[in-house]
Amino acid sequence: MKVALFSPMPPERSGIADYSALLLPALRARCEIVTVKRGRKKPPRGTDLCVYHIGNNPDAHGWIVEALRRTPGVVVLHDFVLHHLVAGLTIGRRDGHGYLDAMEREGGVVGRLLGHAVLDKRIPPLWENRPEDFHLAGEVLDLATGLIVHSRYVQDRVRAAGFDGPVWIVPHPAFPVPDLAAADVGGAPLFGTFGNINASKRVPQLLEAFARVRRQHEASGLLLVGATSPGFDLDRRLQRLGLDGAGLLREGYVDEHRLWELMIAADVHVSLRSPTMGETSGTAIRALSLGKPLIVSDVGWFSELPDDVALKVPVDDREVDTLTAALELLATRPDVRSAMGTAARDLAGREHDLDRVAELYVSSFEQAAGGGEVGDAVLHEVSEAAAAVGIAPGSDEAREIAASLAEVDLGG
Amino acid sequence: MRIAVVRPQVPFARGGAEIFSDALVDELRVRGHEADSVTVPFKWYPGARVLTQAFLWRLLDLTEADGKRIDMVVATKFPSYLVRHPEKRVWLVHQFRQAYELDRTDLGQFGESPADRAIRRQVQELDGVGLGEASRLFATSQNVAGRLERSTGLVAEVMPHPAQDLAYRNDGHGDFLLSVNRLDRAKRIDLLLEAAAVEPTLRVVVAGDGPDRARLEQLARDRGLAGRVRFAGRVPANELADLYATCFATFYAPVDEDFGLGPYESFLSGKPVITAIDAGGPLEVVHDGSTGRVVEPEAEPVAAAAVWLRDHPGEAAAYGHAGKAIAAEVTWDRAIGRLLS
Repeated sequence: MKVALFSPMPPERSGIADYSALLLPALRARCEIVTVKRGRKKPPRGTDLCVYHIGNNPDAHGWIVEALRRTPGVVVLHDFVLHHLVAGLTIGRRDGHGYLDAMEREGGVVGRLLGHAVLDKRIPPLWENRPEDFHLAGEVLDLATGLIVHSRYVQDRVRAAGFDGPVWIVPHPAFPVPDLAAADVGGAPLFGTFGNINASKRVPQLLEAFARVRRQHEASGLLLVGATSPGFDLDRRLQRLGLDGAGLLREGYVDEHRLWELMIAADVHVSLRSPTMGETSGTAIRALSLGKPLIVSDVGWFSELPDDVALKVPVDDREVDTLTAALELLATRPDVRSAMGTAARDLAGREHDLDRVAELYVSSFEQAAGGGEVGDAVLHEVSEAAAAVGIAPGSDEAREIAASLAEVDLGG
Repeated sequence: MRIAVVRPQVPFARGGAEIFSDALVDELRVRGHEADSVTVPFKWYPGARVLTQAFLWRLLDLTEADGKRIDMVVATKFPSYLVRHPEKRVWLVHQFRQAYELDRTDLGQFGESPADRAIRRQVQELDGVGLGEASRLFATSQNVAGRLERSTGLVAEVMPHPAQDLAYRNDGHGDFLLSVNRLDRAKRIDLLLEAAAVEPTLRVVVAGDGPDRARLEQLARDRGLAGRVRFAGRVPANELADLYATCFATFYAPVDEDFGLGPYESFLSGKPVITAIDAGGPLEVVHDGSTGRVVEPEAEPVAAAAVWLRDHPGEAAAYGHAGKAIAAEVTWDRAIGRLLS
């Protein structure tokens, strides 16, 4: 069976490129995989199944959406909210009408009017402040013959959006942990947050909570690693919060080697998010692989993490208080940190094991490519047998047989 | 209790799983239960037939029979465990191995077409449903339990099943090596024949029948083994007990076998077992230099192990004795107690 894989690949700098590169050898051990060159819109001859990795970045995924439009196939949906992608593929290409159509498709006339307001710059971009209200995943869902998602959260969202094809939940694979020493950056304990520094990573809330904790734990540190998003002024945020930045350790974009050293150095990983696009956090998966305790926002995929590996902070009026309590607990209880870390490593080895994930992937490929034909064959044979003994279509008996088939996912 | 022991039936074929299942019915009856065997013919080819045949079990209603409630069903192998029942116990002999560890081997069934790949996955999905419904899940060996957990995530309690009821005895150290097994490729009887070809003093009796018999008999002819290798076919119980009693050891080296009654029967006759390092379930009881010999799955090591046991009757007797102590621990009383609790 030949599978054509449409995905960003290294050296492109994208989390999904790293993800695909990590998985590819394990997939190839199980199935013939051809990676399609960036920009190509047709699968190679003899392809049995096309698989499209789709995330929210229009630069990385625009060509993949165009290929999907030509040849429907299985979509690996890395983000549920695709508003930013659609905006990039429409407004970003001077196709305002395309954006309006996408907004109307999802939000009716109101959606179209809001789209006009965005185009006229009367309101801030919706992909920045109301992405969850207008996911704009409709076209991709229409084109997908099946979906691979990373969480029950996204599964629920696509079902609510009307997708009725097969959905497979496949966890994010754990990263192999390099044999590196921890970076010497100080902080006892050291809290670390990794990835872009912006409001949706709840950095202001984290800064405030950390400042409170530091009053009791003067040696503690907060390590912020990652590029600061445009429009997010860290210094001004600190000033506005009345914080002096004591204990704050700052590193911008770092290479993979340095990232791991810093991650190893952190005693506690903080991975906050709101709003969520339905994504899985690659940095949180790395934390699990490293056996680090996690503090996460109680949203989306993050909510599905087992309670013994992550303290979950609801995004509500008491967010900073709850976050402070979580930081405080892990600052004062090394035994809890240790127990959570052990549970995290176990989880990574169990649920996120690379071979297990690859097996789940290939299972979904195989079901997607051949399942229809097999379902038809089963249905045909069962219906013929039923008809031969006088069971009429629509009768109670036929319904019972259909229900039994559905129960074991046979016969379409 | 009223208990239905369910299993698929391959017409005209009978092996360890069938013997086990029938014995379970008998032993339940001996203990005062109203037990019966329920079988449905099973054909696993071509194409999606394996799925439709499996689906038949889904349409059965075994909650009662003739107006009387059936308290429990006990299923033993694919696809019988797809039957629905509020008190379904599974004592797993094996899954549909072609969909798992035998896939993409000479013993596999499914090709590389999308349809074949999808059928294989659907068999795995069926296992998840059928076995996941069981109120208690047992596996006949650690090997079977391990495969189950790796493939479905389901955890089974390991519970070996006792050997068939024979007049086991040890009549001394005989002059032939015995194989008791169904004759199909996975049982690797050809390895034994090749060992006999390597070692011209080795005498062998092959008991059992199966689809590979003609090929094996031809192989024996090709290797000039006439007079030293005897194909006894399926033998009656008393003759089987005689063979066990009079051999010097048994050969039992299938490829990654689930459990294998062979070693237990051999041990109950006080005879050591020769097996291979990749034999699977038998390795849980056959230990090299303790209850038998564990060798590479090649003719020369098998021949050497056989000659060594034949020429060392003292050690062979000690190994057989040690094996008997292991086999004696596996009783129907204990097994049925756990199964029904």
